[in-house]
Amino acid sequence: MRNDEAFGQSRKPSLLSKLQALTLLTTLTMWHPTRATAEDFGGSMFSVNGFGTAGVVHSSDDKADFATPYEPNGAGYSRNWSASVDSLIGAQVTANLTPGLTAVLQVIVQQNYDNTYWPHVEWANIKYQFTPDLDIRIGRMVLPTFLVSDSRKVGYGNPWVRPPEEVYSLNPITTLDGVDGSYRLHLGDVTNTLQADYGRNLSIQFPAAHLDAPYAAGIFNDTEYGAALLHLGYLVSNLTVNAAPALFAGFRRLGPLGAAVADDFDAVNKSVTLLTIAGRYDPGRWFVMAEWIRSRSESYIGGTTGWYVSGGYRVAAFTPYLTYSQVSERTTSIAGLNPSAEPAYLAPTVASLNAGLNQLLASRPVQYTSSMGVRWDFMKNFDLKVQLERINLGAGSVGTLINIQPGFQPGGIVYVISTAVDFVF
Amino acid sequence: MNHIGRIGWMLIGLALSLASAVAMADVVAVVSAENSVTALNKSQLADIFLGKTNRFPDGTQAAPIDQAEGSAARNEFYDKIVGKTAAQIKAYWSKIIFTGRGQPPPTVSSSLEMKKRISENPAAIGYLDRSMVDDSLRVVF
Repeated sequence: MRNDEAFGQSRKPSLLSKLQALTLLTTLTMWHPTRATAEDFGGSMFSVNGFGTAGVVHSSDDKADFATPYEPNGAGYSRNWSASVDSLIGAQVTANLTPGLTAVLQVIVQQNYDNTYWPHVEWANIKYQFTPDLDIRIGRMVLPTFLVSDSRKVGYGNPWVRPPEEVYSLNPITTLDGVDGSYRLHLGDVTNTLQADYGRNLSIQFPAAHLDAPYAAGIFNDTEYGAALLHLGYLVSNLTVNAAPALFAGFRRLGPLGAAVADDFDAVNKSVTLLTIAGRYDPGRWFVMAEWIRSRSESYIGGTTGWYVSGGYRVAAFTPYLTYSQVSERTTSIAGLNPSAEPAYLAPTVASLNAGLNQLLASRPVQYTSSMGVRWDFMKNFDLKVQLERINLGAGSVGTLINIQPGFQPGGIVYVISTAVDFVF
Repeated sequence: MNHIGRIGWMLIGLALSLASAVAMADVVAVVSAENSVTALNKSQLADIFLGKTNRFPDGTQAAPIDQAEGSAARNEFYDKIVGKTAAQIKAYWSKIIFTGRGQPPPTVSSSLEMKKRISENPAAIGYLDRSMVDDSLRVVF
């Protein structure tokens, strides 16, 4: 609109005064009193950051609970709408002690294995940066086993409500207390980061069992080129899990053949290896990611293979996504101890023990899930997600569900709907 | 006879002011004129501003500086070099911060502050509207 029309005057502002007005306006809108804080330019040692998720989940099957691995209950049987599955809050203090020395402490509050909400320490370590590309850390670290393992609880950083369970529930060792080193290499436009971790005396409490590992060691490599990332991981450990002690004691009472069955399947001092390959392409407007993992153990834990493919497309502030994920076991049932190896009067005992062993094997997850959802970045530092999953349980399997109630039908289909608000501060 | 008419002139005026608005939002990456770096490509800029390296291709130290979160210059810069929105960049840095791997570049509250910081530190690299570039700065992208 021309000034003279706006003001109903016949006077036309000169070109020079228009430029002057424009310059003044520009200067006023772009100049603010200096607000760069001391933290921005190395004045302060500490920075505090946090993240959280507030979410609810509903499951179509009320004879079992849908939850994530360390949780004792969830959505379905325990609650119609469960807020404990995904909700959490975390806070982190980072201290730059000297130019090369950094300390990190991250504490998270979420549902614990015993249904309490005591805060737990997720990260607590000191990092020394020898060069910009070489560092060492001592303390508590979360292992970068899968693509987003070490940031799986930071909902704001991930496209989905939670990382696909078929893959992310397969690694019982998520955190270790020990040492790790990271070396970054630049080759033209390629950045390669190699990380090695070693930890000792791991003790992990699950709702239904306790896991001990005298050590865990892993090597993880990320190769990045533009928007593409290739991730490789290898983890090895020695596990003792106190699952079904009465069952294996029963087998051991039945002579050398019974003891052999117990030795094959009891997870006592058993070596476990985990191999994972993953890729992601994230050019900005869309993304695709895929992960594959294979774990092996000469115990009832067995040989598990999990994988998923996920993709999304961004339209303004919305990013709808689709995921297909699957987990399968190498051995889901076995004959067990041959009844003819034992005296006839023990036949019912043998049958009962074999059934117990098969039930233990059936507790290993076999399922595939198709899911779709949308992420909405509705305001700065916040997002809202809605996700629908169709879980197809493997024949005879309870999949990743827990708290199985009488009347539960294994091998069926379960629908899960989740909604979550993620935030960072 | 002027066939364009009043509405026509208003539309032309609007188009011209929009064009000048677009020209005003032409964000360029700049270093100090004392810095030896002459040009960088998108990939090199992305590596520096996303914390993947803290060196320029010639091996000298690079100290990236961001404009304030939510500023037009910042949003346009990241859209230009990596095609990502402010939320996507925030999500990226969240993963870095909460795995203890680093912190985002320091921020300044205005382009004038940006010019001041770059002039104080020859290793600094930042971005601002092309119209703010003067002899103390060199455009590298």
